[in-house]
Amino acid sequence: MSMAHSSDPEQISALIEPGRVHRRVYTDPDIFELEMDRLFGRAWLFVGHASQVPNPGDFITGELGRQPVVMTRHRDGTIHVLFNRCTHRGAKVVNERCGHAARLTCCYHGWTFDTDGKLVGVPIPEGAAAGFRMSDFNLAAVPRVAQYRGFVFASMAARGVSFEDQIGPVKGSIDDLVDRAPDGELAFDMGAHRYAYNGNWKLQVENVLDSYHVPFGHASTVNKQGVQFARREGDKAGAKVVEADKNTTKTAASWRDRKGYVSGNGHGWTSNTILDEGKRSSPAFDDYKRVLVEKVGAERAEQILTPRLHNTLIYPNVSIMGLNIHVRVIRPIAVDRTEVIVYPVRLVGAPDAMNFGNLRLLNVTHSAASFVQTDDVEAFVRAQKGLASRATDWVDISRGLGSEEQDREHNALRGAAVQELAVRAQYKAWLGYMREAA
Amino acid sequence: MAGAATVAVSEPATRETFELFIIHEAKLLDERRFREWMDLFTEDGTYWVPASDEQKSPFDHVSLFYDDRALMKTRIERLEHPRIHVQTPPSRTAHIVGNVLIERANASTGETLISSSVLMAEFREDTQRLFAGRQYHRLRLTPDGFRIVQKRVNLINCDGAFDAIAVPI
Repeated sequence: MSMAHSSDPEQISALIEPGRVHRRVYTDPDIFELEMDRLFGRAWLFVGHASQVPNPGDFITGELGRQPVVMTRHRDGTIHVLFNRCTHRGAKVVNERCGHAARLTCCYHGWTFDTDGKLVGVPIPEGAAAGFRMSDFNLAAVPRVAQYRGFVFASMAARGVSFEDQIGPVKGSIDDLVDRAPDGELAFDMGAHRYAYNGNWKLQVENVLDSYHVPFGHASTVNKQGVQFARREGDKAGAKVVEADKNTTKTAASWRDRKGYVSGNGHGWTSNTILDEGKRSSPAFDDYKRVLVEKVGAERAEQILTPRLHNTLIYPNVSIMGLNIHVRVIRPIAVDRTEVIVYPVRLVGAPDAMNFGNLRLLNVTHSAASFVQTDDVEAFVRAQKGLASRATDWVDISRGLGSEEQDREHNALRGAAVQELAVRAQYKAWLGYMREAA
Repeated sequence: MAGAATVAVSEPATRETFELFIIHEAKLLDERRFREWMDLFTEDGTYWVPASDEQKSPFDHVSLFYDDRALMKTRIERLEHPRIHVQTPPSRTAHIVGNVLIERANASTGETLISSSVLMAEFREDTQRLFAGRQYHRLRLTPDGFRIVQKRVNLINCDGAFDAIAVPI
């Protein structure tokens, strides 16, 4: 059966079965093109954080799917997400990754736009064609933009599910992170790690909620006692990953007990185990805790500091890590090439030493030269290579199939985090986007 | 060749002294003698590869590497681990260091800042790539010879997106 160029709903549906996925979803350039139109062209995508454009005239540039956009702060304080493409001959208008400008001027013929996208200047205006109206040539705005506690999301589709309905209960993971800041606010102002790999974007997306790979995939970070190196400021020990028995690589019981949750639209999160039983302590952590208690009270501070979330995925392009805290953005480049941007988050109001403690650990877990993420990246590259094989067309995602439980408290489906509930939920959402023409 | 540990305290340190030190350090990395490489650092020594151009501090901005001795040791234990997937097979590297300059010498602290150009070719899994930049070694004279208080490598593509990096530059 040839499906090479098909975008027919029935043929797309045939790529996803209850416990398996066709290899073409990772390898077929036509599927990738369709994803850019139907999935990235419609979904609510993370664009950036309001703290990246604190003052009027500030901007950052990036991509939604593969399309260049610029996020600006206008004079009236509003945030705009604009397609970064001159309305004249198509050149990318803003070239810097971030900066400040009173006006945005295209380098080619000098067309000039205000920071809300309005065209305000065209050189040699007397040469314009009869009927040319500047107001027809404003920078195109990304149709829908929404903000939640500083996180800016946008959808390139004019119509569709609202942001509130789309994100659902997973909004709680943003709260979990933001509430850790004594001032209740995050700042994305400590730069970003960038790594890339020769593999499909979904390999990274699937990985963030995959607790199954940790004991083996990250074996090189686990010591003889089965404990991964401490990943948080003030931790005396890291997480117990493997049973302490030199004759086995058996996953530790506490690791197996971690839970995974999915809440619809491809979103989900994994729970954390209590790592330290309240013993977490260091000068920086104790100082941070004191400041937090002053701001929110002892009881609330205790809740905030109790680890509940390991990783959260807001499908399809952003994850929030609650362990060594950061926000990670997945950027598809080609069917077999992906870039990932990892933002450290500064907890506003926390002592500098605490924020440095978080930053220092993020360098060793998620920089391009880190101890942890490099082994994941190696697995993604090998998956892409292996999937060239036609030994079978199917990728197995069946672990725990049929054993999911309703979790009323979280308004989600629950399973063991070492199973593949989350991947199946991602493909359910994937099909929802991909079956329908954009 | 004169190794780092063999530079006698009584000898006047010339540009060549420092050049030999840096050549020796690069050779240890190319030969994957990571523990000997770590021993070139003082107990309070750090290895820093910034992730932005003209980065002022490792404390308020991400870095590709910012390892103190404890993190260096964890990194090296991992490099020696049989299941470090990203080094199966291992990288081969070839450094060339040159254009060595004595930037600053501080008589009171006994520290000297040396700058040099560095190129590192890396080959792994049928792919060769090149790292390039200028590196700064802050060296302290100890009874054992010169030791590194800080090695900082300013890569020209420090803020680019990198495929996985497993070995120090």
